[in-house]
Amino acid sequence: MSVPEVYSIAQTPVTCHAFNANRSQVALSLNDNKAYIYVNQGEGWAVTETLAEHDKAITSIDWAPASNRIVTASQDRNAYVWSQSPDPLTGALVWKPTLVLLRINRAATFVRWSPNEDKFAVASGARAIAICSFDPENNWWVAKQLKKPIRSTVLSVDWHPNNVLLAAGSADMKARVFSAYIKDVDKRPTPTVWGEKLPFNTICGEYASPAGGWVHAVGFSPSGDVLAFASHDSSINIVYPGGPTIYNIRISTLPYVTLTWTTEGSIVAAGHDCQPMVFSGSEAGWALVGTLDDTTSGGTKFTAKTGTVGRLNSTAFNTFRNADTRGHAGGGDVVGDTELLTVHQNTITSVRPYEVGRDGAVKRVSTSGVDGKLVIWDVAAVSVGGVAGRLGAMRI
Amino acid sequence: MSFRKIDVDAYDEDVLHESELYEPDPRDSAQVLSDTKQQQAAVRNSLNKGDITGALNIALDSPPYGLGVEEAKNLALQTVVSVLNSTKATDIPNVLRSLAQNEQDTLMKYIYKGMGMPGWGDVSGSVLLGWHEKLTEVAGTGCIVRVMTDRRIV
Repeated sequence: MSVPEVYSIAQTPVTCHAFNANRSQVALSLNDNKAYIYVNQGEGWAVTETLAEHDKAITSIDWAPASNRIVTASQDRNAYVWSQSPDPLTGALVWKPTLVLLRINRAATFVRWSPNEDKFAVASGARAIAICSFDPENNWWVAKQLKKPIRSTVLSVDWHPNNVLLAAGSADMKARVFSAYIKDVDKRPTPTVWGEKLPFNTICGEYASPAGGWVHAVGFSPSGDVLAFASHDSSINIVYPGGPTIYNIRISTLPYVTLTWTTEGSIVAAGHDCQPMVFSGSEAGWALVGTLDDTTSGGTKFTAKTGTVGRLNSTAFNTFRNADTRGHAGGGDVVGDTELLTVHQNTITSVRPYEVGRDGAVKRVSTSGVDGKLVIWDVAAVSVGGVAGRLGAMRI
Repeated sequence: MSFRKIDVDAYDEDVLHESELYEPDPRDSAQVLSDTKQQQAAVRNSLNKGDITGALNIALDSPPYGLGVEEAKNLALQTVVSVLNSTKATDIPNVLRSLAQNEQDTLMKYIYKGMGMPGWGDVSGSVLLGWHEKLTEVAGTGCIVRVMTDRRIV
């Protein structure tokens, strides 16, 4: 079982991350108004460039692998597309921003390039998603907005592989599938399970979790025929649009805020529980398989007295529990250990594919967290025991 | 500072209403009330036979939620509380483990509702806290999160 690669990037939260095509560089937002480009220097990552154009915190970054362009979205209601061009004085390649006319009056919350990299979608707090395409005459990006029937902030989007359909998760507790067909950019899409005729803003599906909750993350399966979404009711839903058949898996821990498909039958989800969890299944049914964060093999970190993982094993929790059961605060056995048993020490903000094998299956995923860490995990290293141990520990 | 009391939502035509946040109950309010009354009778029957799990299963089935069913909601809370109060502390973990996930989530809703109205009817804080502790051990913190997000308030 391989050990995850752990890099401590910063003392501040890493809001989002995006690797370049060959994974030698990564663009990060450290919860401020700049995007930082880190280069892998063998034994760690160092900042080589800072993309400073936004006025407020950057909420999301995406790096188009083929065209090597970065798009950043920010709370200042703007997005910029960055591309490398030679500096007129020194001749060195520098990142230059291009303006995007988003026409939104609230923060931009999430951004993703389309698979063909000729469009991108910007989710926003203005109850709208801006679908942006390039206008060569004016040398800027123009947006067309998906508005109806979104009732609240859009928190995440994901593109279908056909470059036309877009899934969106929103704070109005719905996950939706839209058509983001732009006449000048897209060819007529072939019919999919989501629909046949797809003019702009067609709603191909609208789904909610039984117990409600903001939809934090959405994702199409590699084929695009299945949709998964994670919502704030601590559950993950997998939608097969034919029936529609919806599998709702309720978990016993805190909600997930991000997910990614690794194969047509498996998903990695992560969030407030601080560890990436693996789900697998097919149209016949889905289930939680295990965690990528094998807390039991940590050896030195694992001790018998602390059986729970995740947020339930904080010093604060133990202090209050001791105060409750033994009537005194701060027992001798909980001195000074604020470390969680998981690799990430706080909420995981984003999980993304890192290495894709020849068969199209994702072999490794990367996560970034509020603890300032960037971690690369082998998705084959699923620890089933970790889950059993944790569930066992729930029944003290 | 009267401007703080202005209902700004009244001037927003796109405002999201409470009733749009969940699927409404297909039953009308009279139907809900009569169903809840039947459940109460069935629960009493099961309790008399000493069948706690069966009683809880009935009490947690299709709970009244939404607007305009206050009477049914109160009745349902009474029914659930009567089951909780008549269970021995040692039986609680086994009863909880036999519940479906749906029922565990609904039970947690009633526990929180009961804790919000101490001294109402037969609600006893210490009994509820005992159940809450055991239920959290079985169903995890996710169960509590679902009570907070679910707008189908019992």
